Formats: sequence, C-alpha cells, structure tokens
Amino acid sequence: MQSIARSIQQIFSRYKILALLLAIVAIWSFFTWQSEGSFLTARNFANLLRQMAITGMLASGMVFVIIAGEIDLSVGSLLGLLGGVAAVLDASFHLPVALNFAIVLGLGLLLGLFNGYWVAYLRVPSFIVGLAGMLIFRGILLAVTKGSTISVESENFVAFGQSYLPVTAGYVLGVAIFVLQGVLMLRGRANRQRYQLAVPPLWQEAVKLVVIGLIIAGFVEALNSYEGIPLPVLLMLAILGGFSFLAHHTVFGRRIYAVGSNLEATRLSGVNTRLVKMALFGVMGLMCALAGLTNTARMAAGSPSSGNMGELDAIASCFIGGTSMRGGSGTVLGALIGALIMASLDNGMSMLSVESYWQMIVKGSILLLAVWVDVMSGSSER
Amino acid sequence: MSEYLLEMQGIVKAFSGVKALDGIDLVVRAGECVGLCGENGAGKSTLMKVLSAVYPHGTWEGRILWDGEPLCARDIRETEAAGIVIIHQELMLVPHLSVAENIFLGNEITGPGGLLNYAAMYQRAAELMAELKMPEVNVALPVSQYGGGHQQLIEIAKALNKKARLLILDEPTSSLTKAETAILLDIILALKKKGVACVMISHKLDEIAAVCDTISVIRDGTHVATRPMGELSVDQIITLMVGREIKNLYPREEHAIGEVIFEARNITCHDIDNPARKKVDNISFQLRRGEILGVAGLVGAGRTELAMAIFGCYPGRYEATVLLDGRVLQIDSPQAAVQAGVCLVPEDRKRHGIVPLLGVGYNITLSVLQRFSKYGVIDPSAEMQTIEQMIQRMHIKTATPLLAIQGLSGGNQQKAVLAKMLLPQPRVLILDEPTRGVDVGAKYEIYKLMMALVKDGMSIIMISSELPEVLGVSDRVLVIGEGQLRGDFVNAGLTQETVMAAAIGKAEALAA
Repeated sequence: MQSIARSIQQIFSRYKILALLLAIVAIWSFFTWQSEGSFLTARNFANLLRQMAITGMLASGMVFVIIAGEIDLSVGSLLGLLGGVAAVLDASFHLPVALNFAIVLGLGLLLGLFNGYWVAYLRVPSFIVGLAGMLIFRGILLAVTKGSTISVESENFVAFGQSYLPVTAGYVLGVAIFVLQGVLMLRGRANRQRYQLAVPPLWQEAVKLVVIGLIIAGFVEALNSYEGIPLPVLLMLAILGGFSFLAHHTVFGRRIYAVGSNLEATRLSGVNTRLVKMALFGVMGLMCALAGLTNTARMAAGSPSSGNMGELDAIASCFIGGTSMRGGSGTVLGALIGALIMASLDNGMSMLSVESYWQMIVKGSILLLAVWVDVMSGSSER
Repeated sequence: MSEYLLEMQGIVKAFSGVKALDGIDLVVRAGECVGLCGENGAGKSTLMKVLSAVYPHGTWEGRILWDGEPLCARDIRETEAAGIVIIHQELMLVPHLSVAENIFLGNEITGPGGLLNYAAMYQRAAELMAELKMPEVNVALPVSQYGGGHQQLIEIAKALNKKARLLILDEPTSSLTKAETAILLDIILALKKKGVACVMISHKLDEIAAVCDTISVIRDGTHVATRPMGELSVDQIITLMVGREIKNLYPREEHAIGEVIFEARNITCHDIDNPARKKVDNISFQLRRGEILGVAGLVGAGRTELAMAIFGCYPGRYEATVLLDGRVLQIDSPQAAVQAGVCLVPEDRKRHGIVPLLGVGYNITLSVLQRFSKYGVIDPSAEMQTIEQMIQRMHIKTATPLLAIQGLSGGNQQKAVLAKMLLPQPRVLILDEPTRGVDVGAKYEIYKLMMALVKDGMSIIMISSELPEVLGVSDRVLVIGEGQLRGDFVNAGLTQETVMAAAIGKAEALAA
C-alpha cells in the first residue's frame, strides 16, 4: 500500500499535468462505460466544455489570486451581480450589446479593484473581504433584479453565449495553434541551449508535439462534427493563452509569483506589493464580468441565484490543478484542467441521473483527495 | 549531598560538525546567582539549551549533575519537574489568556472531571503577585493588558509556581525600561535569599554586577574563567570576553573617501510591544562618499531597527530624517528608498532576502524588472544577459540561472541577494550582517566586492556582530548600545576592547 502511495506521489510531483490528464481519461472512460457511450459524443463534449467555460474563466483569475497567497470568496456573487446588471441594462434600458458589455466589464474591474483595495491597503484579510463581498454582491443582485429572473431580449447578447465558430475557421485555428506550439518549442530549445540548460532529446519533444497535435486535432474534430467550437470555449482558450503569457513573460506575472513565494522579501526588493495585490483582484473582477456575461447569454436571462457556489468550483479547480495552498506556485493550464475535471464529474453524474446529494459528496471527496495527494507529494512544503 | 546544586562537566555540542560548545564546565550552588558573559555567538544560549534539555540528553557530550545525581533529561518537561526553569529572551506568554491562566498553563489546578478550579488558581496567582511585589496586578485580566516589565515578572511567577530551584534568565532585561529593570533585579535578589539559584545571561555588566555572586566568561564555545564577582574589573571582563585574534581575513584596500553625502538625523524607533521603550533613541550620523561605516553593538542594541527605519520598513512607530546630497528624502517604503538610491541587504536572509521558489536569476532581477520590459512584457534575452553578468561578477555557483534559489548554499544565496540590491545602483548600500551563515570563502569574496564598490564611489553601512569583521573592513565604526549612539570611532588603531567597552556602556569609553 505504501509503495503504491509513494509511486503515485512521485508521478504527481514530477508530471503533475500528465497525472491530471490521466485522471480525466479515467473519469471519461468510467462515464462512457456507465452511460453506454452517450457520454463521449460530440454533442455532449460541446455541452461539457460550455459548462466548464464559466468555471474556467473564474478559475483563470482565481489561480493568480491563490498564487499570490490570497483567496476570493466573492466571485460567485460577483458573477451573478454582473450578469444580472447586464440583463437589466439589456431588458430595461435596451443598451447596444457592445456598450452593455463595456459597462459590465468596467464595473467588474472596478468592483475587483474595490475588493483588492480592502485587502492590500486596508489590510483586511482576503477571506473576510471575500465573505463580505459574497453577501453584499448577492444582496445588490437581489435588489437590482427585484428577486426575479430577467430575460435578455437582444439576439446579439444571446448569440455571445450560444453561437459557434464556423467549421472552417475552427480547422484554421487548430492548425495555427499547432504551428505556434511548434515554433514556441523550437524557440524554447534554442533559448535553453544558449544558456547551457539541459535540453531534452529532440525525439521526446517531437513526441510531445505529436501528442499536443493529436489533442488539438481530436478537440477541433469532435467539436466540428457537432456545430463547431462554442464561442465561450474559444474565449476561455484565449484567456488560457493570454494568462499563460502574462504569468511567464510579464513584469506583473513575475511579481505575482514573487509576492506569493515571499511577500516580505519582494517588498524589501522595492516592489510595490500592495499595487500588485490590488491589480490582481482587478483582474479577478474582470474575469467575473466575462463569466457573468457568458452565463447570462447562455441562459438568455439574468437570475438572482446564478453563480451560487461558483467560488467553490473555481477554488476547487485551482487546487485540483496543483496550485499550492501556500502560494508561489501554480499554472493557469492546471487550473483549467481542474475545472474540466469538475465539469466532467458534474456532467457525467447528471447524465447517469445520480442524485444531486451524491454529486456533492463525490465532488467534495475528489477535492479532498486531490489536495491530499498534493500535500503528500511535498510540493507545498518549504 | 554535593556542594553544588548544579555541575555541568565537559559539555560538547556540535552542529553538523561545527563545535558550538567545546568542553564547557559550569557550577552553581544553591542560592547563588551566576552571571554568564560572552560575545555574540560565544555559546551562552546553546549552553542553557543543553541544560534545560531543549537539546535532549544524548545529542551532546559531557555530564550534568543535579543535586549530585546525573541528569539525563530528554525534554523540557523533565528538567522543569527537576526544578530547572528557563525564561527565554522572547517572552512566551499567551497574550489573550489571563495572568492566572498563563501562570498555570500546562499545570492547571483541576477539580472533579477535569474542570478548572479558577478560585484556587486566582488565589495562588494573587499570592505569587504579592510575593513579587506587584499586588496591583489583577490576575483575571489578560496578560496583554500589562506592559513588558510586568510580563517578564509574570514569567517569573510562572517559573516560581513550578517550584523552580534554578532559574535561567536569558537577557531578561532586553525588553524592559530602566525602572522595570530595577524591579526585576530586586526580585532576583529576594529569590536568592529564599535559596533559589539563578543563571543570568546578560550583556549589561552593571546588571550582572548588581545581582551576581560569581561570573563565568565563555568565548568561542570554551570556558575562559569563573571568578567571584568582586575580583574582576569591567576591563578584565571585557578582555576575557573578546581576546580573539584578528586573522588576516580582510582584504583591506586603500580607497579615497570623499565629502559627506548621506546623513541620518534623529532616528528613533519605538518598541512595537512596549511603546514606552525606545529601541533606537535619537541616533544621528553622517556618511562620506566611498566610506565603509561599520555599525557594532551587541545583539538587540537596535542596529537592525536603525537600518529598517532608514530603509522605510520599520514595522512600529518611528521618526527619521534622512538626507542624501543635502536633500531630505521622503522614504516611506522600501520602494521609495530604492528609488532614492538607498538599498538594504537584510539580516534575515530566509525571511527577508530570498524569494525561495523563484530562480536565482529571477531573484536577482526582481528589483529592476521594469528595466527589461516594454509595456510590461519582459524581454527574456535582455534579462538573461544581465543575470549572467551578475552571476559571473558575484561568482555565484549555480547549475543554471533558473534553478530555484532555495536549492543554493547560504553563501550563494547571500551573493544573489547582494546582486539584487546592487542592480538599482544605490548611492548608499546598507548591509545587515552580510556574512552571517556564510562560509569563509564566500565571506572573503563579499569583502572583496565591498572594496570594489567603495572604490567606485558607493558608500556602505555595514552592521555586524563580529568585531573582527567590523575592525577588519570599516573606515569608521559606530557603536550602538541600548538604542543609543555610544561611540563614533575612526578605525585607526581601534581595538576590540574599546568597541566592546563602548557597546557595554562603560563610562570611560565614552571619553576615549
């Protein structure tokens, strides 16, 4: 038993992403077997990804908050509020969709910065700020919607959540991403060679590239055989790309990791750590706005209960995806794979008509297990 | 029965091969107070940790006889049961519990079913307070209601309640005001009359003289002398304490010293826990271009606080006026300090120096990341070029520039932190214990680097607890004692004895 635990531990600490992908394969195989194949259809796959997109957007912002050593519990309520505001602006004020979105995104940024100001400058622990925000934003949402669901009238708004990328564009995009991966790989190799870092053998990287190619091909082919790539999924992938770049190639990204790994040392290096933290919450607010808009568009309505418990799914996704609880390490890709695992569980269990109480118990247990494995692998120890 | 209450014989304690204690003897009679003196790092605290079984029996060599019987305690509970109680420099009270609850913590008086018998505890606690001449303390109030002096006495009450026969006091007055110190010393004298023995570690020789019967001096882990208090003069004690050879470890090089460029005026820092007490008390000094200013003093004298106030990061209330080139600098944060041309390499490398999970290179560029970026996007080759230059210049040994810094040795980590604070090209560089936990080779390289920097016109303030180091590299030496400026010496013919005498606060030294 112990040796099994140890080898699992080693696999997880070395190839965290690989282990997560294996978990997804296991979960999907199980559901496909149990549902006699209906889980693994193109239609359900598209559905699954659309379900995941909203949690994924929240998790993409949340992962930075957690890397910096904070937490934001208000995102579910903020998502609901911003989605509700968008619905009201559309239904009662008939604003053009572009203006509506601009207002909601701006509002999301502001409310996020507001949270961040309390955390960074007024030094209220983020747990408390989040808890307060959770109540306050939900309360405002109830006031704005007067407790009832508000239907969206504009077709363009609804299209944002429910339309698809044309099939041809999907293929072009797939090829483009594959080529980009290849170029990045070659550039990375050249860079590592220049700085005399160990370069993995070419065949190993080639295999990696082929696997990535197969995943992209499978992904695009599966979605195209239904109706194409759903717009929210495309948006989520764009966020993945953008935020991965942010994390590794920008001053802001570097500082987020530094703040999470050792706040005091970073501050004593002359970095304005408060500003970093506040900006971080601003980004989180922006993600809440995107998620809220997507959610409202998908349902074609703003509901006073939307986004309920959204923060928990987002936080769980980050931890399942290997983000360290003590800050300083984690990736956007990991968080999104975590979100995919959560969404797969939701989707699969609903398909098998598992009682909703069982769904909660299973999801909770998976979270517990994932974090335990993370702790055992020692990645969160200093 | 033995003549002595406690006999420690030939104690040897090594940390990964380095001997911190090398065959120390110490004896204490019942009702006797022994003062334990020695420089920073001489091994005083280590010796007391051996005695109180913080380091359990078996992790050190030698023998402890307690009441004539061998003592082989494996943890602190066994030594406390025997009557040996240690009071640490940092108070170990739980601030939100009441005075009585603290006194009885881990030792509660209980009734049937494990219920706390508060009446009995309050009564006994009040008796102890009366015994310690502070009947005004309300034992039902939380400890945090009382100041540092009272808290120190509450610690003693806690020790007495454990029926202590030997009290170990490690720098008991380091966080007390003068008046509070006087009360504490009175109580130690009263305890002696009751037959309680005491070992007192202190840098303050006047306090040792006031209460101790015997003085034991240790140096570099060895026992130097034990004499009755009256037989030694302060001068003799200081000579016994230092007496270390200055070996030729210091690459002193000639360099030009220019005009005054930096001035600190009226720096005062208040203790966070005891605001009535000043950790730094109105210190002013000047610094010249190309000068290395050594700041000496005993641990806790206020040197680190002084540096933090200049760098804008002292956590409590403080006042400071800092001038560079005659202009007053508005430094309210480390960010402002770095921008103004003042950099600090902090004392506690692990907590304040390194960002453990980031690579060595990324640690180095943390202070100047904007320099390699356009619209917030880092140019990786420009950054890597600087990283490689710094790694080469500082001789940092690392497998790759991207290796997480936590995997490096202390010396290499320190060089990386130094590199980080050199990149902003400061006019004034403050180094707080720059060679602590650094091996001899890396030390030498750091001194070499300091010489190169001052030759280029940078000015350096170096805080150090190692006197030979201060005398080996400084052009001028400031001595700080109990938060006050005790001396400002040009380093020409300056001796360790003179500096130590000033640090301890001997009147004659001030005239010198």
